[in-house]
Formats: sequence, C-alpha cells, structure tokens
Amino acid sequence: MSATEALRQGRPGEVDPYKLGRGRAPVPGHGGGGRDYATGHGEGGPASKRVIVGYGFWIFLLSDIVMFSAFFAAHAVLQTATAGGPTGRELFNPTHVAIETAALLASSFTCGLSAVATEARSQAWTQFFLLVTGLLGLVFLSLEAREFADMVARGAGPQRSAFLSSFFAVVGLHGCHVTAGELWLGTMMAQVFVKGFRPNIMRRLVCFNLFWHALDIIWVALFTIVYLIGEGR
Amino acid sequence: MTPGDDDLDHNADDVAPGFMDAVDHTPREGIQGYLIGFGLAILLTLASFYVAGTRFIWGPGIPVMLVMLAVAQIGVHLVFFLHLTTAPDNTNNVLALAFGVLIVALVVGGSVWIMAHLDENMMPMGQMRGM
Amino acid sequence: MLGKLTIDAIPWDQPIPLIAGCVVFAVAIALVLWVILKGHLPYLWREWITSVDHKRIGVMYVLLGMVMLVRGFIDAIMMRSQQAIAFDAPGYLPPEHYDQVFSAHGTIMIFFAAMPLMIGLMNFAVPLQLGVRDVAFPTLNSTSFWLTATGALLVNLSLVIGEFARTGWLPYPPLSELRYSPGVGVDYYLWALQISGVGTLLTGINFVTTILKIRAPGMGYLRMPMFCWTSLAANLLIVAAFPVLTATLAMLLLDRYLGFHFFTNTAGGNMMMFINLIWVWGHPEVYILVLPAFGIYSEVISTFSSKPLFGYRSMVMATMAICLISFLVWLHHFFTMGAGGNVNGVFGIATSIIAVATGVKVYNWLFTMYGGRIRFTTPMMWSMGFLITFVIGGMTGVLLAVPPADFLLHNSLFLVAHFHNVIIGGVLFAGFAGITYWFPKAFGFRLHEGWGQAAFWLSFLGFYVVFVPLYAMGLLGMTRRLQHYEVAAWHPWALVAAGGIVIMALAALCQAMQFVVSIRRRDELKDELGDPWNGRSLEWSTASPPPVFNFAVLPNVRGEEPYWQIKRRAIETQQLSPEPRYEAIEMPRNSPTGFITAFFCTITGFALIWHIWWLMGVGIAAAYAVFVWFAWRDVEEYRIPAEEVARLDRERRGAREKWLAEHAPESAPA
Repeated sequence: MSATEALRQGRPGEVDPYKLGRGRAPVPGHGGGGRDYATGHGEGGPASKRVIVGYGFWIFLLSDIVMFSAFFAAHAVLQTATAGGPTGRELFNPTHVAIETAALLASSFTCGLSAVATEARSQAWTQFFLLVTGLLGLVFLSLEAREFADMVARGAGPQRSAFLSSFFAVVGLHGCHVTAGELWLGTMMAQVFVKGFRPNIMRRLVCFNLFWHALDIIWVALFTIVYLIGEGR
Repeated sequence: MTPGDDDLDHNADDVAPGFMDAVDHTPREGIQGYLIGFGLAILLTLASFYVAGTRFIWGPGIPVMLVMLAVAQIGVHLVFFLHLTTAPDNTNNVLALAFGVLIVALVVGGSVWIMAHLDENMMPMGQMRGM
Repeated sequence: MLGKLTIDAIPWDQPIPLIAGCVVFAVAIALVLWVILKGHLPYLWREWITSVDHKRIGVMYVLLGMVMLVRGFIDAIMMRSQQAIAFDAPGYLPPEHYDQVFSAHGTIMIFFAAMPLMIGLMNFAVPLQLGVRDVAFPTLNSTSFWLTATGALLVNLSLVIGEFARTGWLPYPPLSELRYSPGVGVDYYLWALQISGVGTLLTGINFVTTILKIRAPGMGYLRMPMFCWTSLAANLLIVAAFPVLTATLAMLLLDRYLGFHFFTNTAGGNMMMFINLIWVWGHPEVYILVLPAFGIYSEVISTFSSKPLFGYRSMVMATMAICLISFLVWLHHFFTMGAGGNVNGVFGIATSIIAVATGVKVYNWLFTMYGGRIRFTTPMMWSMGFLITFVIGGMTGVLLAVPPADFLLHNSLFLVAHFHNVIIGGVLFAGFAGITYWFPKAFGFRLHEGWGQAAFWLSFLGFYVVFVPLYAMGLLGMTRRLQHYEVAAWHPWALVAAGGIVIMALAALCQAMQFVVSIRRRDELKDELGDPWNGRSLEWSTASPPPVFNFAVLPNVRGEEPYWQIKRRAIETQQLSPEPRYEAIEMPRNSPTGFITAFFCTITGFALIWHIWWLMGVGIAAAYAVFVWFAWRDVEEYRIPAEEVARLDRERRGAREKWLAEHAPESAPA
C-alpha cells in the first residue's frame, strides 16, 4: 500500500498522488504527540492544489510589497529634495485623495462581495460585483490620471525635482498595478462567463481577490505616508 | 476523479490565503464579514483624514498617529478581506507575512537610517561655503 | 521607424567583437542547421524547449550556465592579458573597450553563469530529494528559464549590435545616467537584468512554495535533506531581495528614459541612494549563490564520507541564521561612502557575526569527514578544495569587514581577489561538484573520473596562481578595473596572474574533454542501478534517468536520510519492499508558453533598448496575448496509464534486485 494511501484510509478509487490531494491526518492538527500530520506544512504529504496556488500567490504578493518598499524608501529619502520646486503641501489636495481612497476601498468591498457570490456559484452576481469593482477601479485611475496631468501642466511633473520623481514613481507604480489588475479583471470576467466555476477558475478568482485587496493595502500605506504625512511638509 | 477536482476539499489541513476554509459559512455570513471590514476601514480612513488636518493633536505626534491608523487599517484588510487568522492551519501564511514585514522594515528603516547619516563626516554647510 | 538603430550599430571598425561575433554567429547557424537537417527539431521542441519537467529545465539551466561561463572566462582572459602587458604601455584593449569587457565579465558571471548553475541544480535535485513529482508551478518554471535565457541573449547581442555598459557590473550613477552614458550599453544591461530578474523571482516563488508545501508523506521539515534547506533559504532570499533589484534598476531606467531625477547630479537626485538600494539586493544575492553551494557540499561530503551529515540541526540553524543576517550587512559594500563610525560599526559587527554561522557549517563538514570512509571521487575533491579555498576567502572577508581596514582595501584588487576567492571556491567548485555528482542521475552514465580529477587539480592550482598575486597587488595599492598602470611593483604579479589564467584555461579544456570522452564512452560508464555513489537521499532511489513522474508511488519517509534506511533494510533482508499497487499518474502537459513569452520579451527588450516604440508595443501586446491564450487551455494534464507506470517501475526494481543478488549484505557499491 502506498504511503499516501496509508494516510488516506477509507478513500477508495483514489488516483494519482501528484494531484496533490487529500492528506487526511490520522492525528489532527498540531501537537498530537509532537508530530504534525497536516498536509503541506506537516508530514501529511503534498498539499492540495488550492493551497499550493494560494500560497504561491501570497508569496508573490509579498515580493511585490518588497518592491514597493524600495520605492517607499526612495521616497522617504527624497521627500525633501524639492530642488526649489513645489512641495507636497502646495500640490496635494486632501479632498481629491479622499475620493480616490473611497473609490478604491469601495472596490475592495465589492470585490469581496464578488467572492461571496463566487462561492455561492452565482454567475450573475459574480459578474455584477466584478463589474462594479472594475468600474470603481476605473474611477480611481481616472482621478489619478487627472491629478498627474494637472501636476505636469503646472510644471510639477516628475522631471522637476527628485521629490516629484519619487512621488510619480511610487504612486504611478501603484496605478500601473491597478491597471494590470483591471486587465486581469476583464480576463477573469470573460473566463468565468465562458468556462463557469471550474476549480482552476475558482483558484484564479481567489488569486485575483488577493491581488485586489493587496492593492488597497498598499494604497492605505500610500495615502498615509505620501499624501497625509507628506502634506505636513 | 477528473483533473483538478480537488477544490471543495474542506478536509485539507492547510488553508490557503484568501480562502475562508476554516469556517463553513453561508453567503449571508460572508457578506457580514466583508461589511464589518468595510465599516471599520471607513472609520479608520475618516480618522486618518481628520487627524492629518486637526490642530487638536500635538504636531510631531500626527505622523505617529497616522502610521498607527494605517497599520490598524491594514490589519482590518488582512483579517476581514484576506481572511488571515492565527489558526494553526494559517501558520505558514502568517509566517510569510511576518517575513515580508521584516524585509520591508529592514529595507525602509535601514535605508532611511543610512541615508540620513551620509553627511556625518561632512563639514557644516556654512563653513563649506566660506571655503 | 527603427529608433536609434542604424547599420553603424555593428562594430565594423573593432576587430575583436566583430570577429568574435562572426564566429559565434557562424557556430550558432551551423548548430541550428545541423539540428534541422538531422531532423532533431521536433524532438528538441517536444522534449526540451516546451518541457515543463523540472529535470529537463534543470539541465537547460546548467547548460546555459556552462556556456556563459565560457564567455565570461574569455572576458577574464582578456582582462588578465591586458593587465599583464599594460605596464607603461597602452595594451591591446582601448579603455572604452576594456571597460565593456570587465562590465560584461561581472554581469555574465553572476547573472548568467553562477545563478543558472545553482538554479539548475536546485531545479534538478530538489523535487527528487523531496520525494515528489515536480515543482509547484511547472509552466512558470519553464517561463523562468526562458526569461533568463532572454537576458543572456540580450547581453550577448550587445557584443555585435551596439555596445555594452562601461559602468562595471553594478552601474553606479552618475556614470550610468544618460548624460555620462548616452549610448545603448547601460540600456542593454538594464533590460537584460529586468527581464531575467523576473524569471529569477518566479523561480524563488516556485521553490519556496514547493519546499514548504509539497513534500513526500512523512517528510517533516527536520527530515529534509540539507540541500533542500539551503535551497529554501536561498529562494526566500530571492523572494525578498530581487524585488529591490527590480525597483532600483527601474528607478535608473526612469531616469534614463523619462528624465526622472532619482540619481542625477541635478534637481535633488541622490546617487548614493542607488548604491544603498542596489547593495540591499547585492548582498543577499551572494548568499543566494552560496547557500545552494553549501547544500551541495553537505550532500557530497556526507555521501563520499559514507556518514550522515554531522550536526544536522545546527546546520539548519546556521543556514537560517545566514538567511536572516544576510539582510543585515549590506552597508559593508560601501563603508567608505561616509555613513560615519556608528553606522559602519553596526554593519561591520553584523558582517563578522555572519561569518560565525558559516564557521559552524565548516566545522560540521569537517566532523562529517572525520571518522568516515572517504572516497576521493571528483565531487569530493571539489568539496575538499572548497573547504580550503573558501575558508581563506572567508578570512579575507572578515578582514574587509573591519571598517578601518576596508578604508584602505575598498575597490582594490584585494577586494577583487576576496570575492573571486569565495565565489570560485564556493559557488563554482560547487557547480562542478554538483554537476559531476548528479550527472549520472540525469543522463544514465557517469562522467569520466580521470579527466574530472585533472580538471579539478588544474582549476585548484590555477585559481591560486591567478588570485594570490591579486591579493598582493591589492595590498600594494592597485585599484580595480585599471586599463593600464605605471607602478613597476605591480607588473611581475600581473604576469604571474596571466600565467595562472593559462592554467585555468587548461582546466577548462579538461572539463570539455571530460564531457566529450564520457559521452563517447557512455556504455562503459553506464549507471545501471541508479545509485552510483551509494547515496543517502531519495533521488538515488529512482532509475537513472528517472521517469518523467520521478516516483511511481510517493515514498513513505520515516526518518532522516530516508533512502539510506530503505537501502539498509533491503540489504539486510536481501529483498526489496513489496511491489506497490500502481495507479495512473497525471503529469502537467508541456507548453510553449515559456518559450514564446520569452521570445516576445526579447523583442520588447530589444525595442526598448533601441527606442523602437512601435515594436515595444507589439512585443508587450503579444506577450499578454500568449498569457491569455495559455490561461484559456482546457486540459492541463495528461495521463500516464497504470500499466506504463508499472512497466517503468518494474524495470527499476529489476535493476535493484539484480544488484542485491550480486552483493552480499556487508558490501556496498564502490
């Protein structure tokens, strides 16, 4: 009897262990006699595909956050390097930022609602909430684009000073991620429509959810550090 | 078994980030979770904007307050939107997050500390101009 | 229409790159024609180019690394020969050319030789050692490889179309800014690294997930082979550090392409921040290189000492300590940039502490050897050579870790000798040890021992003849990267070093001969059993080469060194464990996604370098389209029927039963 079978007693007709399935723990959870029979992080054999994909994507998100942190570090260092040009206080408009924040936060909420709809296997509600998420994201992007265009028109573009370079870079990087997220969102809506709620589509939707929420998390850091604290200078 | 059919296995011992595996819930409970998170996040955001502009807090304390509010809001996102918990099946996910936070702290904190010290051995600007 | 690209981009007036380019081009064309005319293309496409099998991808990585090692070595020959004759003389390489040579040497050796070598060996061995069928994301793995190859291609293209960077392997501003490097050289460097950096980051994510989430049943963390632990640490570092590289190079790209002011001289830019951020990546990078190397040595030394690795738990702790501390030392690369005594002191002390963890590992290797029955095979020779060489290099590192000493030695040839000491002694020797060790598993026959030993001894000797003079020159005050010099005291050392490079070239020829002879004599050198070294970890329980699914049935792991237990039991009871119940296995389908995506990334990179904006748009759109097309496929896996699995596994069991019958319980394979 194979090892994985030994763990999966009572599950006849199992196919390939590579499907990375069902490690059933004879001793559940941690601490049972010092041995951990869980799949994935313990001795229970390979984890399920869902766990693998989710965890891998989580690691990717953390790496993305490290990349943002390098840009944040640059901004922290360069925030006083205004080279005689405009400062944050002169440029940032709290109301504008508040509306952007509201749009993105709301889109995170509707994304969560789409996740609930997906779990309930409702095509209509999933598509509806994904659409609303996408539209709110577009609102955010258009507000940001307008802010950038205004600043450039006022001579406060990224070429003006190192402070402005780092501002455009860190906020712009976030905007690029939101744009990529919109592309992905559109693709997911198409895939869900055409293929339905297959397991791999479900896994991708969860990854998309993680991504979209992470974008809001980064925005929280952004608006706090770059706009609100930056305005105090 | 057809390929990839492992999705609804609620018996897998590990939980992937983003999944509400640990608790079987109805759609209503799911919506409630997101609503609570949304509400808390709104409150924290409003608080941040208020604090930024207020005169009721000592000036130098404002950035500290803002950072704390941001951390709280990130926590709300992680718990209510990303479903990260401290349950044993979530340990790997929390450890990974801790690792990420550590790296971010080192990169940002270390860089700011180093860059701020780079004029340690430079003459004061006034004297330099005189030369 | 073609941006900045004109026919003058080809170096018509520079004989060396022109001839080199023609030769390489001719060889490449000849190779392609041979492949096509002999009808090998369908096989190559099906079995290698579109393969998502970690074993195939690992071999391709190692091949890429070896080829680029040769290219980088040629650059080294050029540098040593130039410095040997350029005493009070101009030498044969004008400065603008010499600068490109040393920049290309460093870039290629680190990013396209050492990294692919280590990543290739990790790719090949880690899933086998973990007792599983493949990595977490096989198609992503393929994409990672092809993106790395794209970077290598772009760097080599710069030899014949345009120029390479003249800034050294890390392009410090303001020299690397547009004003002082207006040509395409720095852009070639930047885009090659951005593209291959994405590939490496994806590898990091892949392996962290694999090692943490996909292991054979019963393999808890403390039962993993040491190579898997060090691979985990290295891949965690990749995930943590490569995003910083991407960010920093992106900032430089924004400066160059869009006129931003991150690192410029004017408008508030801070060039010191580039140095800070790039070394935040740069220091973990060298640990990314050396940690897998340490893992290889752990495997080789324990196998050829016929003993389990000494102090497994302390090795694990030392490895994870190195992983963590490597993120706390980066300032030691720029002690002289002026952060002051307090900051320098903190980082200097941290650097000394990290040496302690490495010392723990060295002692553990020594204690593994002590009392063991040592077989002086080629991999073991490389490991013993490493122990001596790396310790010396480490000691010079600890010397440099003292800020006042570093103020004298920073950017001298002493520094150059130190890092070559640790990289060659550590990473390169490990690459050769690992290749020789796992070659029979990958291809079914061993490498010729005699030529391997010759290659080792010549490399070992050659290394010292090249680099001990460099230590001396550094202490005599010679700065790195000098195209010519007038100090008479340095000249004799430079001559000796050039002699040493000849010895190393002979060593390289021996390596080549080793492969040629081994392939010719592969029937004599065949590995029938699958376990040519009396190994201790799970990869040796498979056939050589393993079937695509690695294990017919995932092994049940009961302790450390699982295969050793299985083998001892089989030898004692004179029989194999009972035949398992074979089931059908589903494996991931091959996919051209990786190759095609990388192709379009090459196009995009080239277009960005030469400012051909419409082509850049085409490349990006096409890469995205490929991604969507791949995401649309309905069938992700193919099925291997149980009968086929049984047939292959019975062959493997037959070979082992035959071996058991031929060997009494007390003997072991030679």
